[in-house]
Amino acid sequence: MSDKAAAMLSRSEASPPARWTARSNVSPARIGLLALTTAVLIFLPFVVTGYVLYIANLLLVFVVLCLGLHLVIGETGQFALAHAAFYGIGIYTSGLAGNAFGWPFPMSMLLAGLIAGAVGVVIGAVALCMRDIYLALATFAFGEALQWVFLNWDKVTGGPNGLRISPARLGTLEILSDKQAYPVVAITTLLMLLLTILISRSRLGRSFRAVRESEVAAMAMGIPVRRAKVTAFGLSAFYAGVAGSMFATFSTYIHPDSLGFQTTILVLTMVVVGGLGSIAGAVGGAVVFGLISEFLRQTPSYQEIIYGLILIVFMMYAPRGLFAFIHDKAGRVFRG
Amino acid sequence: MADYLLQVEDLTVKFGGLTAVNRFNIAVQRGTIHALIGPNGAGKSTTFNCISRFYQPTTGRILLDGVDVTNMPASRMAGLGVARTFQNLELFGELTVFENVMIGAHVHAGKTWGDALSACPASVVDHVERLLERTGLSAYRNACARNLDFGHQKLLELARALAIRPRLLLLDEPAAGLRNREIAALDALLTDLCNREGITILLVEHVMQLVMAISHKVTVLNFGTKIAEGTPEEVRNDSSVIEAYLGQEMINA
Repeated sequence: MSDKAAAMLSRSEASPPARWTARSNVSPARIGLLALTTAVLIFLPFVVTGYVLYIANLLLVFVVLCLGLHLVIGETGQFALAHAAFYGIGIYTSGLAGNAFGWPFPMSMLLAGLIAGAVGVVIGAVALCMRDIYLALATFAFGEALQWVFLNWDKVTGGPNGLRISPARLGTLEILSDKQAYPVVAITTLLMLLLTILISRSRLGRSFRAVRESEVAAMAMGIPVRRAKVTAFGLSAFYAGVAGSMFATFSTYIHPDSLGFQTTILVLTMVVVGGLGSIAGAVGGAVVFGLISEFLRQTPSYQEIIYGLILIVFMMYAPRGLFAFIHDKAGRVFRG
Repeated sequence: MADYLLQVEDLTVKFGGLTAVNRFNIAVQRGTIHALIGPNGAGKSTTFNCISRFYQPTTGRILLDGVDVTNMPASRMAGLGVARTFQNLELFGELTVFENVMIGAHVHAGKTWGDALSACPASVVDHVERLLERTGLSAYRNACARNLDFGHQKLLELARALAIRPRLLLLDEPAAGLRNREIAALDALLTDLCNREGITILLVEHVMQLVMAISHKVTVLNFGTKIAEGTPEEVRNDSSVIEAYLGQEMINA
């Protein structure tokens, strides 16, 4: 027996530690994908204008919303359904900071994220005592309650009349068009994307995934499970807050109707159909489904039905998500 | 006087009206392999889960290196150098083999927010790579843990626990379901961990081949109470043990 053990040991001591492989999941394909995304974002305003840029801005807001939901659902496996509420907090915070105090937009954006994140931590600390369907219902209830607040707190939110958002500003610069807003929105999106990649690859991201895969094993590895869940939930709320603030830079008006469960579900479908658990899936899902729902606006009476049908088709033929589906197909093509 | 790394004193665990463990005492000497055996339902796993802080005992004390850890949350135990494996595998199934072991090294990756967001220190990564090498899992490092065969999954759990760099390693039936060849390798590995690295091991096990070969001391539980304790030889020859539990198996052996 001891010979065998010695053999095992000597083998491990003989071979040098393979350091380079440790970071091997920085694959060229992934870097390429990130570079491509960046390039598209940079060149877009030179080729398109007007309405298309508005759509681009809107899609990027959805990308950030999806990245946030990806952290809590995709990475940590917690089905929290209050995303639109945090998005709303972001929009109102940012709008009010601009309207009332004339704050420069980077500050109001940060404030929007931090307030949404702080509310997220408080709600998360309570809701994340529950799991699965109970967690989903608790966060759903919070989302509904907050929409009710948006609708009825007339003095602050303008209630059912909605709220006019004054143009975002930085010093003497005022953002008055989609074209002017685009660089702000695009850079913020890129920063949030990089932050997501950083989190996902770090010890924090690993602890999130550990919680998703097995709470008992995570605990045995020294991961405080509750705290990891609340952190993920708080971060996702921060993302939603920032997304809200991004929306406020190119919008002049917000109505509480668009801050309900439907928006949460829209973001949820983007993340799930894009590919649960993958950043590329969350981004791809946001872009593809954002575009689809935008195109369907041309046919208002059939919009919901067609959208539903497309979803069903995706669920049937690409159940592991859009990204995995493309990945498999592309792999097959390259292999011949 | 013996040097005990782990002492369990008067441990009692009740589930409703059922007393699973009754005034149980065990002391695990530093640097030894100590086995906890007994028939099904004897309270081994309950005791084990109390020590790893997954269950809260009704009464009693658990001392780790003389420090009372009876009310310590389970997630703090890894930081104190206590690692465990699970009877029914609890791997991070969708993650790679490498990532599973990296999560084991969680407590060594720093504590601040900066640490949380930065890449893992190279020393930690090297340690993980060495553990993979040592458990023979290097070839599977990028495989999904869920797709490994059972024997490799068992090894992966062990590698993940070792990434904690434990003082005390708690193994819940490490040999269950393994083939003879795999048991022999496990036997060698555990002996080696104990002898060369001074890791103290407490294992709950049904596979007597392993228990008798590697244990320095064996404690026998039956119906929640200790019925015997001693060296493998002593326990093997103890009449109450033979009667209560080992009877058929040992006579056949």
